[in-house]
Amino acid sequence: MTRPPGLLYSVDDTPPWAVLVVASLQQVAVMSNSLTYPIILAREAGLSATHMLDFVSLSMLTLGIATVLLCARSRFIGCGYLCPAGYTQIYLGPSLFAVKIGGLALAYGMIIVAGFLQLAMAPMLRRMRALLPSEIAGLVIAIVGLSLASLGLQYGLGITDRSGFEPKHLAIAGVSLVTMIVLNIWTKGYAKMFCVLIGVSVGYVASAAFGLLDITPLLPEDGLGILRLPSVEYISWHFDFTLLAPFAVVAVATTLRAMGDIANAERLNDNEWVRPRFGPLAGGVAANGLASILCGIAGTTGLNTYSAAVGLSGATGITSRVVGYGAGVAFALLSLVPAAAVGFAALPAPVIGASMFFSSAFVFIAGLQMITARLLDSRKTIVIGLSFAMAVMADVYHDLFTHVPLVLQPIFDNGLVLGTVCAVLLNLIMRIGVRQRVTMKLDAGHVNRDTIERFLTEQGGRWGARREIISRAIFGVVQVLEVVGDVPEGTVVEASFDEFNLDVRVKYKGAPLIIPERKPTPREIIASEEGERLLAGYLLRQSADRINCKAFGNVAEVQLHYDH
Amino acid sequence: MNKTALRMEDSHAGPVCILSIGGRIDSGNAADLLDRLNGLLAAGEKTILLDLKEVLYLTSAAFRVLLVATDEAERNAARVALCGLAGQVRELFEMGGLLEAFTIHGSREDALNRL
Repeated sequence: MTRPPGLLYSVDDTPPWAVLVVASLQQVAVMSNSLTYPIILAREAGLSATHMLDFVSLSMLTLGIATVLLCARSRFIGCGYLCPAGYTQIYLGPSLFAVKIGGLALAYGMIIVAGFLQLAMAPMLRRMRALLPSEIAGLVIAIVGLSLASLGLQYGLGITDRSGFEPKHLAIAGVSLVTMIVLNIWTKGYAKMFCVLIGVSVGYVASAAFGLLDITPLLPEDGLGILRLPSVEYISWHFDFTLLAPFAVVAVATTLRAMGDIANAERLNDNEWVRPRFGPLAGGVAANGLASILCGIAGTTGLNTYSAAVGLSGATGITSRVVGYGAGVAFALLSLVPAAAVGFAALPAPVIGASMFFSSAFVFIAGLQMITARLLDSRKTIVIGLSFAMAVMADVYHDLFTHVPLVLQPIFDNGLVLGTVCAVLLNLIMRIGVRQRVTMKLDAGHVNRDTIERFLTEQGGRWGARREIISRAIFGVVQVLEVVGDVPEGTVVEASFDEFNLDVRVKYKGAPLIIPERKPTPREIIASEEGERLLAGYLLRQSADRINCKAFGNVAEVQLHYDH
Repeated sequence: MNKTALRMEDSHAGPVCILSIGGRIDSGNAADLLDRLNGLLAAGEKTILLDLKEVLYLTSAAFRVLLVATDEAERNAARVALCGLAGQVRELFEMGGLLEAFTIHGSREDALNRL
């Protein structure tokens, strides 16, 4: 693992106390934006002000516990990275649907079911790796970035229908967003680290000045105490297996998003990141499932890893997992303080919008980087391009998609879910006809470098191999053929691939290559062609992760292995 | 145009002759590069800067040409420097342990300030 240059506190670092406390509170401020989703659910269910306060407090408590579970580094639970939790719009559609037909009790019951499904998926991720490659995780992250931007704009401008926007919202969101951007780009130290928290605070003050801060609807009749244990008396659970399909889709979509977020958190800590490790992925997805079960039990909506919080850690350079523990504990403690619950629930929409819009840039670019690290041929282009387009279409033609059959509505109702489902299905279909082992014969006198480059590049695209590894393989084959020379019987190049290995074999009639251990000196290279051959062998040994030269009768074979 | 084919274009910045190279350099075209470099030295160029920014990769044959040309320049009281090494090209220099064998600058601007 190589530490990226801009990182201030990496995953295993423990920041000084002052930085830890403020960085944790900053994560709390960003994560609290996601409380919007349970609040929407509670409003739709018509909860009273007292129950609403209990509901928000319990949502904060489970958010805190979920964040600690997700960030924990243990064998079975937790990804070990700063990957905080957040309530998600993925659960919102199916939960609202459940509320309509069976009240909050049915929504809670089905959220528990979705949590169990996700928990069951966690240990199977390794076997499912071909179905969920890195570029699809990248796509999910990019779509999340886009939906964060869309929501950010909606909240930031106070758009309730398509007729116009609120100038006051624009002013508050603008001041808040500009503060975050200016501090992030043109300052250093604490101002850069805590740009979002400062931006949110500025937005809060501006909202009060513009008269947009109204907490009265959230105050219970008997007033607010200093400390208060939230009541759970009103919570009950029902199950309806006709709702299993939409909540199963929710489990798959939240799993993919968790995979993308955890991969992003890993990437932020490692300059040489190439693919997510399955240990952190399985632990993170298991923690996400367990957390959603807790949410259902505690009477709130389901949650997911929170891409905006991971994006924030990238923007500020603080990726220490201890910050996750800090944010989790802070949320759990604040859930006992009614004033804090009211404060979060009353967070003005333009401020939520500004911080969502700010984070969306980092989330979106992280997704694009994960996608473009892979070679993309026509198949992969169709998988990624069309799925991305479908995700956008779900929002653009939202009204049209309300006419799809009821069972499919949870999929078409949400761009992220639709894009994810499209990507997984298209990826399955596009795998038809892609061979994992391919061979090319080069006739004598036709050892054309362009042909080799085209062959490996096209095949790498079909496999979705990393660009950098295919470039190394092209160099390896060209260098081998340069040393072997033009063999009268021709040469055969064979390549095979799985997600972890690229193996290339070059077969020809002749003596096996001798690969030197010793590095030739510049003087030796200049002196003779033998010096150049020594350099060729040495470069081959260094550029491949493993090299073997064998002879089978009069046929020699150079085996080049590249870790992928 | 084939983007991997060898491309060479020279220009001048004061006393420095800049040879911008692009594409792939291997045994099939290394001799062309050597001819071009020898031609520049024969024409009396005393400072030649090879900008490798557009090079995709280079094989052992190319490294030999670069070493031979550098050696030839030194014997003619001239000098050859490199710039624009990035990605796989830089890795190959590192792998071959050849970073020390050449005068290497970061960017073209950096090289022109120092030469």
